[in-house]
Amino acid sequence: MENTVIQTNKLTKQFIKWRGLSSPRHPFEKKIFTAVRDVNIEVRRGEIFGLLGPNGAGKTTLTKMMCTLILPSSGSATIAGYDLVRQQEKVKASIALVSSEERSFYWRLTGRQNLEFFAALRGISREKAARRIPEVLDQVGITEAANRRFQEYSTGMKQRLGLARGLLADPEIFFMDEPTKGLDPLATKHIHDFIRENLAARGKTVFLATHHLAEAEHVCDRVGIMYDGEMKAHGQVDELVGDFTLADYFHDIISESTVEH
Amino acid sequence: MLRKPLAFLKKDFLMEISYRFSFVLQFASIFFSVVLFYFVGQLLGEAPSVQRSISEYGGDYFSFVLIGIAFQNFLSVGLGSFSNNIRAEQMIGTLEAMLVSPTRLPTIVLSSSQWSFAFTSIRVGAYLLLGGLFFGVSFGGARVLPALTALVLTVVAFSSLGIISASFIMIFKKGDPIAWAISTSSTLLGGVYYPITILPDWLQIASYAFPITYALRAIRLSLLQGQGFSQVGGDLGALVIFSAITLPISLLIFRFAVRRAKRDGSLAYY
Ligand SMILES: Nc1ncnc2c1ncn2[C@@H]1O[C@H](COP(=O)(O)OP(=O)(O)O)[C@@H](O)[C@H]1O
Ligand SMILES: [Mg+2]
Repeated sequence: MENTVIQTNKLTKQFIKWRGLSSPRHPFEKKIFTAVRDVNIEVRRGEIFGLLGPNGAGKTTLTKMMCTLILPSSGSATIAGYDLVRQQEKVKASIALVSSEERSFYWRLTGRQNLEFFAALRGISREKAARRIPEVLDQVGITEAANRRFQEYSTGMKQRLGLARGLLADPEIFFMDEPTKGLDPLATKHIHDFIRENLAARGKTVFLATHHLAEAEHVCDRVGIMYDGEMKAHGQVDELVGDFTLADYFHDIISESTVEH
Repeated sequence: MLRKPLAFLKKDFLMEISYRFSFVLQFASIFFSVVLFYFVGQLLGEAPSVQRSISEYGGDYFSFVLIGIAFQNFLSVGLGSFSNNIRAEQMIGTLEAMLVSPTRLPTIVLSSSQWSFAFTSIRVGAYLLLGGLFFGVSFGGARVLPALTALVLTVVAFSSLGIISASFIMIFKKGDPIAWAISTSSTLLGGVYYPITILPDWLQIASYAFPITYALRAIRLSLLQGQGFSQVGGDLGALVIFSAITLPISLLIFRFAVRRAKRDGSLAYY
C-alpha cells in the first residue's frame, strides 16, 4: 500500500543475558529475554500512531529498532519504503528520533552550536543550515535561548531543542519516545499542540511511544497497546474502547496478560 | 565531503576551549616537563657514558629526550583517542543521536578523533618550539620531509592499534587491556627516555615488535642529524609493513564490534 509508511512484520528482539557472576556456578549460561515479540504494525502517512504501554513493555526497544539503532533478531520492517536492515542509510535519512533523553546534546555548547553540528551530520549544507536553524528555533519557540549553553536550559527548553533538531532536515517520519517525560502540564500541552499543528497538519507521520494514557488518547489517531513485548491490541482510540475509557481497557489487557502467566 | 569531519572539528574545538582553565593548563604542563628534562639533561650532560650511548643522535641528552616525550604524545593519542572519544560520546549520550543521522559509524569514529590529533600536533609543536627557542636544541640541519613521513606512518600504525582498542570499548565498555599493554611496553622498550641500546639483548629484540621504536629512531635521525630517506628508509619500511598488516585487521575487527553492539542493543550504553 502506497500510503503505508511504517510496516513491521513479526518484528522481534531478543537480548542475550549472560548469567555472569550472579550465578557463579554457571557464569556462561545464557538466558534469552524477548523484549519485543512478533510485532506487526502499519502506520499510514500523516497519521499519529501511539505506542502505549507501561514501563518495560518494550516501547523503547521497538522504537530504536525502527530507527536502526538496534538490530532486529527476526522479522522485517519497511520504513518510508526502505528495508530497515538492508537500507539503513536511506531509512535514517527519512526519519527523526526525538526522545526524552536530555543527554543527547552537548551541554557546554549553545543550542545553536548543537543544531549546527547535527545539521552537518544530517547532510545539510552550510548555507541551508544557516537558513534552516533560525526557522526551526522559531518554530519551537526558543529563539531567544539559541545562544545560551544547553546546560542552562530548562527541561522544557531541552525538549524543544530536541524537536528543533528533528525538524532540521524536515523528514517524513518522526519517532518520539516519551517526548513529554518530566514536563509540566503547560510544557506538555505545548508539545502536544506542536505535534498536531506543526507535524500532523503538514502530513508528517508521527510514531509516539508513551505510558501516558491521556497523551495517547488526546494526541493520537490510533494506538497500539504493548505489554510484555507484545502488541496486545491496536486500532482507533474510540473503536478500541467503545463505551469504556482507555484506562479501563488498558487495565483489562494488563490483568489478562498477568493471569495468563 | 568534508562537511561532516569539519563539523566535528569545530564542535570539539568549541568544547575544548569552553574548558578554558584546562586548555591553559595543558600548555603550562608542557613547559614544566620541558624545564624538568632540561635540568636532567644538565645533570647527565657531559657524562661520557651518556654521550656514547646516544652518539648516534648527536650525543645531547636533552635533545634526545625532548623528541621522545614530544612524539610519545602521538602514541597516546593514536592508541587512546578513538576509544576515549567514542566512550565520551557514549557517556554524554550523543552517540545515539549521531547514529540516527545518515552518517556512517566509521565517519563518526574517525571524525571524532580529528581534534585530538590536531591538538596533539599543536602540543608537539610547542615542545619542539620551546626546546629550540629557549633551551638550545638545534634543529638547524633538520630534514622535515623524512620526519613528516615517519610521523604520518607512525600515526597510521598507532591508530590501527587504537581502532582495535575502540572495538573493545564498543563491546566491553571498558577495561581495554590491549592499549594499556602496548602503551606501557612502548614507553618502556621503545626508546622514549633512553636509547634501546642500553637494554639487555633480549629486550632489544622485543623492542623491534613495537612501531614506536622505528618511529622515534627515524624522527630523531632526521630532525637531529639531518638524515634523509636513504638513511631512515629501513625504519619507514618497517612502519609501512606494520600498518599494512594491522590496519586492515583493525578495520575488520571494528566492523565486527559495531554489528555486535547493534545486536546487543548496547551502542549507547557505557
Ligand atoms: N540492551 C538490552 N539488553 C538487555 N535487556 C534489555 C536491553 N534493553 C532493554 N532491555 C529490556 O527490555 C525490556 C523492555 O525495555 P524497554 O524497551 O526500555 O521498555 P519501555 O521503553 O517500554 O519502558 C526491559 O525489561 C529491559 O530491561
Ligand atoms: Mg522507554
